[in-house]
Order: sequence, then C-alpha cells, then structure tokens
Amino acid sequence: MQRVLVKERPNLGQIAEEHELEFVSGEGITGWDESAYYSFNLRQIEQDIEAPAQELEEMCLQVVDRAVKTESVLDRLGIPETFWDYLANSWNDGEKNLLGRMDFSYNQGEPIKLLEYNADTPTTLYESAILQWEWLEQTKEQGLIDQNCDQLNEIHDSIISAFSKLEISTLTHFACNKDIEDDKGTLDYIEECAQEAGIETKFVAMSDIGLDDQGLLTDLSDQIITRLVKMYPWEWIMDEQFGTNVPSCGVTFFEPPWKAILANKGLMALMWGMFEGHPNLLPTFFEDDPECEKFIDGGNYVRKPLLSRQGANIKLVQGSKIISQTDGPYGEQPNVIQGLERLPKFEGGYPLIGCWLVASSVQGLCIREDNTLITGTSSKVVPHVILD
Amino acid sequence: MKSRSSFVLGLMMSVSLVALTGCDEPKVDASIYSSVDQCKRDPLVPPDECEKSFREAKSQHAAVAPKYASKSDCQADFGENKCEQAPYRSAGGGSIFMPMMMGYMMGSMLGGRRSMASQPLYRTSKNPGSFRTADNRNVGAKTGQTRVASSTTRRPSFKSTTMSRGGFGASGGRFGSAAT
Repeated sequence: MQRVLVKERPNLGQIAEEHELEFVSGEGITGWDESAYYSFNLRQIEQDIEAPAQELEEMCLQVVDRAVKTESVLDRLGIPETFWDYLANSWNDGEKNLLGRMDFSYNQGEPIKLLEYNADTPTTLYESAILQWEWLEQTKEQGLIDQNCDQLNEIHDSIISAFSKLEISTLTHFACNKDIEDDKGTLDYIEECAQEAGIETKFVAMSDIGLDDQGLLTDLSDQIITRLVKMYPWEWIMDEQFGTNVPSCGVTFFEPPWKAILANKGLMALMWGMFEGHPNLLPTFFEDDPECEKFIDGGNYVRKPLLSRQGANIKLVQGSKIISQTDGPYGEQPNVIQGLERLPKFEGGYPLIGCWLVASSVQGLCIREDNTLITGTSSKVVPHVILD
Repeated sequence: MKSRSSFVLGLMMSVSLVALTGCDEPKVDASIYSSVDQCKRDPLVPPDECEKSFREAKSQHAAVAPKYASKSDCQADFGENKCEQAPYRSAGGGSIFMPMMMGYMMGSMLGGRRSMASQPLYRTSKNPGSFRTADNRNVGAKTGQTRVASSTTRRPSFKSTTMSRGGFGASGGRFGSAAT
C-alpha cells in the first residue's frame, strides 16, 4: 500500500456541480481529496483485504445467529426487551440486508484488523461508488495515472442487482432526517439505484411519517408504508415514540432489524468472545467484563461507546497515556474496550480502510484520511487503485 | 392538509365509479389462479413465473386486504373460516382481521412476457363464485387465461387515515447526522 501524489483534475468545480457536491474554492470538494491516491497490488487487495473481510462477514452472521437466541446478549447490547422477538424473527425469516462498511486498520506486513462495522447507516457511499470510479476513468483518460490501474469497486452494479433480486413489486419508501445533507445525499443515491432496478420509490422525511388507526405507518399522502429503506439508525427508531409500533407495523426495513446487532460496537466484543485470537480481530471486551480490568492495566486500548457515530466520544490510550480523545453526545453509554491498533501514518494523515459489503458480499473499497488517529467528520475520501 | 387529501380521494373514487359503470371499458388479458399448483398445470405459464407471481401477490396481501376490528365482521363479509389475523395491531393494541387470500391475478403470458404486476384476490360470502381484488373489483369466476376490465389490473391502493405524525425524528434532532 503506497500513497502516490497525483495532479487533480482541472475541472473539479464543474465535477462538484455535476454531482451536486459542495465545492470550496481553494479547498476542493468537501470530504474528498484527489491530490493523492493509494495504490495496492492485487495480492494485497485479494488476500489481505477482500478474503478476510468476506470471512469476517460470515463470522458476523454467526454472531447474529447466536445473539438473537441469547437474551443476555441482546440486553448487554442495550436493545430494548420489547424488540428482542422482533429482531429474532427478522433474522429467522431471512430478511435481506443491503449495505454495510467494515472499517480496518492496515499496517504493512500485518493482517488487517477490524475496528468496527458500520452495518446500519454507512455513508461515504456515493464518494466510494461513483466519484471514485469516475476519478479512475477520467484520470486514466487524461494520462494522470497508469492505464493499467483498476479498482475494487463493483458497488454501484451490485446494489442495483441486490435490489433486482428482491423482486419488489410495490412502492418502496425512503426515509431519513431530511435536513442532514450527508444522510439525504446517501439515501438519494440508494434510491436512484433502486429506481434503476425498476422499483417505484418515494421519499418521506422520518419526522413526517404518520401512524394510522391500525398502527400502520403512513407517508404524507396517507399512503401505507410497506417497505422502507432508511438512513436512520435502529437504536433511534427503537427509542422514539412510534418505535413501539414498529414490530407490528408490517413494514419490511432495509437494513433489517437484525442489523442492529452488527452496528453495535459490542459486536467487537461478541466476535472476540466467539473467535478469540482470530488474526483480523482485536481483543475487545465490554467495560463491565472482569477481563477488562486486566486489559486496561496493560495501558494500550481504545474506549468506545456501544453506539456512537462519526468518531465521537472515543478515547485512545497508549502506554497508559491518553493520546487522542474526542467528545460528543454519546458519552452516557456503556463502552467497549478494544486493543489499541494505531492506523498507519502516511504523508496525508492516517488512512482508514473501509470495505463495502453489498448483500453480504465484498464489493468495494473506500479510504478515508484524517489528520488524527480517530477518523471523524473532518476526514476525506482518497481514491485507490490496484496496480501490479 | 387533511381535508384536501380526503377531497382528492373522494374525487378519485367518483371518477373511477363512472369509469366502472361505462359499458365500453377496455378489457385486457390476464391470468387468474386459485393456487400456485393450478397455475403450474397451465401449459401457457412457465412454473417459475407461477411461483414469482404468487410471491409478489402474497407479499402485498397483508397490506392491501380489507381490515376488520372483529373476526365476526370479517366473516360476515367473507364467510365462515375465511378470515385470518392480520400482522398488525390496532392503536389500542387489539387484533386486526382480514380475509384469506383466495387466489391471485397476474398479467397474461401472451407475447412471452408478463404484462402487469400480480395482486392477491379474494372471494366474498355474498358472491363466492367470483374473485375480487383488494379494492373490491370483480374480476369474474374464470381461472386460467381470461380477460378483465383494465381498471382492475391497477395496483391495489394502500390508502389509510393518518392519526398522528412526528413520532420519529427526535433523535435525529438531538444527535444530528446518522452517518457512520
């Protein structure tokens, strides 16, 4: 894995406009940096990243299979008791999943390490699937990069194909917080993919969703919602006023309810419990686990809330000293303690390897650079190439 | 908002009633089956199309079937032992009932391609010989390849009356982006 400097395309402003992305003169497209790219060889992609990610996905599904049968586990993850049967049923009925992004640290010569799984509301999807791919094609055309460069990027086609396989014949609703650009942009892109698969779609803001006299969810024109693709986390849905109606509202959700188990940082402790010593896992424990104390005494760990977003409320400790810390609104939750794995340092910062899974199959890569060890909202997506 | 939407709905209904009473409503080819097995015995339809159409209809069934607050009310319209519990609860937590799906209608396979989406069909106790769509439109008694009024092939509507809104979105207001 190398970081290679490259000339930016000269018409970035126009590109931003075409994709309806924010462009700041002198800074470029917000959240995107093409002044460099990461170059991998095929062995690194296939053996070091793709194969372990696929194996980890299978392991994750085993964790779900066990977790839905174990009330103490669901309790530990903070899932309200009223949703236990609902989650278990969604798993036992084989409800399909669409999207997830695993985040890895990849240090040269070492197995990649899974840091967490954004299995419910992953973003940077458009940058990964479209912007990155278009960059590859255009920079090749303009002779800025080697003509033999390729990318691990089947994200777009695989989402459309996953939608087609669902054989949806009824209207499918799409919902998120309409005021958050990042969420809406990601959701809009998924909606376009569904439309390309021939599905009739309609947007509704989460706050506009209604409840009818039979406990069914409705949109603004009083149409009953039967399928809902959401960019809104399960833990929020379960916590909110209409949440109690969700198990009996007859809606098929994407992501399905059982994904709440994978999107929880407690997953990392459950994985370690089931597959202790696996080369792609870091030792991880629930903070109230007696094992944890010993581990904290070792002085090298990361503390993260079970449910936090965008790198908030995370603490990195090395040699018993805090080396990096973020605040945020998720501080009142139980935590997991995970073995410290520092992201590698490159000229542009600390790259985090995101691996996209579409319908549980590895389909793409997304590298985000941040100038701290905790990847947060100021991070930028940097494109990648495969070149042998 | 409310009065406007019910006005639109009322208007739509009266328009379609006029259309229904007209003598010259165009007819289209369709296929009606009481079961997947019956469909599979039809040499004109590939077996996997039978399965696919059935699944398509079945997946709509719970959402589009007429709903009742009591089993006896449902049975009065659809017959003894012809009702089942719907996978929903009333606002007060009570059970909801709906007629069982008695068959399904799919597009004709003439021309090698299915011409429309499938939908579930029901039979009422007053007229048990005929099939009806979830919107209560009669599509006749004949199974196999048949012709039906084109208005019946429209997707059944999923309209309802919203009692309250705003029960979602609070966490988004508190935490901001859902992005991970």
